[in-house]
Formats: sequence, C-alpha cells, structure tokens
Amino acid sequence: MHEYSVTENIIAIVQDEAARAGAARVGSINIILGELSTFSGQSIEFYFGELSRGTVAEGAMLNFIYLPAKAVCLECGSRFKPRHAFYACPDCGSPMFDIKQGQEMFVESIEVD
Amino acid sequence: MRIEVNKNILASNAAAAGKNRERLRRHGVFMVNLMASPGAGKTSAIIKAIERAPELKMAVIEGDIASEIDSLTIEAMGITALQINTGGSCHLTASMITSALNYLDLDVLDLIVIENVGNLVCPAEFDLGETARVMIASIAEGDDKPDKYPLMFRQVDLILLNKMDLLPYCDFDLPRFRQVVTTLNPAAPILELSCKENRGVAGWGEWLTGATASTRAAKAAD
Repeated sequence: MHEYSVTENIIAIVQDEAARAGAARVGSINIILGELSTFSGQSIEFYFGELSRGTVAEGAMLNFIYLPAKAVCLECGSRFKPRHAFYACPDCGSPMFDIKQGQEMFVESIEVD
Repeated sequence: MRIEVNKNILASNAAAAGKNRERLRRHGVFMVNLMASPGAGKTSAIIKAIERAPELKMAVIEGDIASEIDSLTIEAMGITALQINTGGSCHLTASMITSALNYLDLDVLDLIVIENVGNLVCPAEFDLGETARVMIASIAEGDDKPDKYPLMFRQVDLILLNKMDLLPYCDFDLPRFRQVVTTLNPAAPILELSCKENRGVAGWGEWLTGATASTRAAKAAD
C-alpha cells in the first residue's frame, strides 16, 4: 500500500493543473522518479487505474523518467553512484556522503486536451 | 497542450509535517516517531517509557492498519491514547498526525509518542513533523536488517535493540549488527534492552527525559 497516498497526491496535482488550464482531459502525466526513491512506478500505475476513475486524469498514460543516483563523499570529495545497500564511499570507505540526486519524486509535466 | 508542472509529489506531506513541527515547538512538546517491524516491541517499549518516566506528561498516538488493541493497552495505564486506523495504508502521514494533535492539550503535555505502523519500509519515507525518530530492532529479526533496510537505520536518532533475552537462542551476531549500524549511522546510539526482563530500560527512560527537557528548555529560551 506504499504508493496509495502518493498516487492520491499525483492525482490532486494533476487535477489542480488541469482545472487551471481549463482542460477537459489529461492525455499523459510525466513523472520523475529518482533511482533511490523506494516508490515503484508499477505500483503507482496499479493504484492510478482505481483512484483516477471519475476524475479528469482518468485514462491518462503515466510516463516515468528515472533519474540516476549521484552522491558526493563528505570526507574525500569523491563523486560516486550509491546503491541502496551501498553505504560507504568506494574510494575512502567513509559512510558520510551527501546524496545529490536520486531521491526525487515529482510531476514534471502533463499533456492535456 | 503540454503544461510544465514540476511539483514535488510529497510536498503536501512535507508542508503538513512542517506545520506539526512548528506547532509542537511553540508548545515545547517533544514528539517521537517510533518505528519498527511488527512484533519488535513498540508497545512494550512505550509501556516501559511510561513506567520509567512517570513524571512526564505523556500522550500516545497509535497507528495500526486495524484494531484498538494497542490504544486500549496504553489507556489501561492511565495515559491518553489516540488510535489511528489507516484502513490498509502501510504508514502514517503528517496530516493524520495533525488531526490527532487537535485532540490533545499541547499546553499540558511534555511528550507525545507516535507508534507508527509496523513496517521498516514506508514509515521511513514520510516525515510526520516529529522532533526525533527512534527505531526498534529485535534479536529475533536477525542481524541482517540494517543491510536490508538501510534507509530506516540511516535516518533515526536512536536505535533500541530489544529482546536481548533471546540472544542465547538466536543466531544473532551482535558485533556485526553494531558495526553495520555504526557504518550506516555513526551518530545514533544503540541501546540494548529487554522489555520482558526489564533490562536496559532505564537508559531509554533517561533518553526520553533528557530529550523532553531539552525541548522544554528551547521553548523557554524563545
């Protein structure tokens, strides 16, 4: 059920934007997901089918754009690509790093008629 | 027609969490978000906190998919307990906590403990506006949980390792667990406890008492 409330938020954002544009129908929704986000596009699609029914977003196609993970080590400044279970800098072994990219989750754009 | 949106999907949760945090800060109330797997001992740890820190004016917010079992247990000890049933959802959200706070008298409380839905995945993603995050790991779950759920272990302020009484019966490598947790989260202390045998619970009570006093002092300094 992890993605249920997230999908509700997506639909609320889309409804808001579509109403502002006076759109009758939303053709597609482009969603940016960071690689390190634990939200699954497949699960969002599953809930979307049910939750969008009767809204302006019903029938819209969901497109997911995945952003690769990027981190910078706070000890040695090395830039690397962290994985979920990987939590030390590959160069100096420090566990202290800043995740610069990969945790994003936002509605980038929509196509409306 | 293409419309540029660029809106964070979790922005509404983040905004509600920020309001909760500010509201608690104004009242000098310390709110802890307690997270763990089902059966790790969240309710037992809350009971120990009530016993160990009786001077704290406390309320508990219980999050469960269903049932009132936990809130009835806490109320039986004379502590205000609000039950949130998420009706299937695997985590609490900030707006659920906003609604619960409306039922509490923040002027008289020192401490609110939120018992999140038993789960090591989703609660880690949702800021509730808490002052601190605490997780419970337990011996029977195995020493590999920090490897499997790094996000949860990374972002907490304190780790309680419960069910130490089971250590002789389980293949739990305690030094390995400590080493992985320290690599993930060097700042978070690990407190070993056994709620069943009442061991190590004094440290947990002291941590809550100290954190509550700091929150109150910060409000007084405002």
